[in-house]
Amino acid sequence: MTRAEAVARVADAMPPDWLTIVCNGMIGRELYTHADAPSRFYMIGSMGLASSIGLGLAIVQPARTIVVLDGDGNVLMNMGALGSVAAASPANFFHVVFDNHAHGSTGDQCTISDRVPIEKVAAAAGYRRTMRAHSAGELDHTLTKFFRETGPAMLLVEVERGNKPGIGRVEPSPAELTARFRLSAIG
Amino acid sequence: MARVTSDEPRWASGVCAGVHASESGDVVYVPDNPLSHVLRIFETAFRDVRLVLATREEEAFGIAAGLYLGGRKPTVMLQSSGLGNSLNAITSLLIPCQIPVLMVISMRGDVGEWNSAQVPMGRSLPAILDAIGIPHSRVESAEDAAKTVQVAGETAFGTRMLHAVLLLRTITSRTQVRLESD
Repeated sequence: MTRAEAVARVADAMPPDWLTIVCNGMIGRELYTHADAPSRFYMIGSMGLASSIGLGLAIVQPARTIVVLDGDGNVLMNMGALGSVAAASPANFFHVVFDNHAHGSTGDQCTISDRVPIEKVAAAAGYRRTMRAHSAGELDHTLTKFFRETGPAMLLVEVERGNKPGIGRVEPSPAELTARFRLSAIG
Repeated sequence: MARVTSDEPRWASGVCAGVHASESGDVVYVPDNPLSHVLRIFETAFRDVRLVLATREEEAFGIAAGLYLGGRKPTVMLQSSGLGNSLNAITSLLIPCQIPVLMVISMRGDVGEWNSAQVPMGRSLPAILDAIGIPHSRVESAEDAAKTVQVAGETAFGTRMLHAVLLLRTITSRTQVRLESD
């Protein structure tokens, strides 16, 4: 399964009013191209911090569902965040990690996630539930139950390397992304 | 202003009162020795302020960004050394996305420092803040702490830009020898 296909399948399982933080790089561009919404905030830098932003949001908006779409390179850059999420233990926090064992946005250089299973690190830190999907069929099956779990929960999705040709860039400016997201969060 | 227990230093009470008066109800922090006074006063006298512990300072700015996106006005408290690992979050998330944070920085490396590892970042910190366009104010006495912090917070949240308050060691280190005036 390509990453763009996996991102699309996960996005299709998420109602547009769920608050979503997306890591920097191609994952955000793939979500934006497939299904943009004001409730989706795309990081353009600050690699590693999507889960930290999601944690702050989950603390202050406990009645909303918070989804963090992340990559293996991003998680590995800020692993302390897994501990912070587990310690705060927000029930509304859902962490989806697209894992291609590579820095896919910068030329597919290897990460270490082929030897470090990220969902097991999250489980050891104290996430309530963690899962791994190896294929498109398994992802679809897992998605029917993942978002019904009590968080914090992590779903790691194995994806192929490579980028979809012709994928667009996120059009709104960073300040516009902040303003529209904040309205949809407070609204 | 809430009542504060008598054995905490007045500068620390002023910081808490200033944060509260600026309507910041969330403080994300990585602690140090002087800031532990501030944290104790928040815990005892400002129970409506939420305290969130981060594992490192860059993460604190990420959590603060999430709090702002969720509708709050966040403060980040850190030691000056922690600015070093926060610069990527500040320059590639908070500044371009116009996410305001009130920064309360406990200074090291200035007058009275004993640890040489604290000196390069501590002495460079005002110049680094200038270089990335973050305005900063200094708390130089216990009397001006509350007002300085409050105005910094109001400026940050009003303009949607970060604003830093530097707690000078000449003030905070007094608490370790505990002068009569404190």
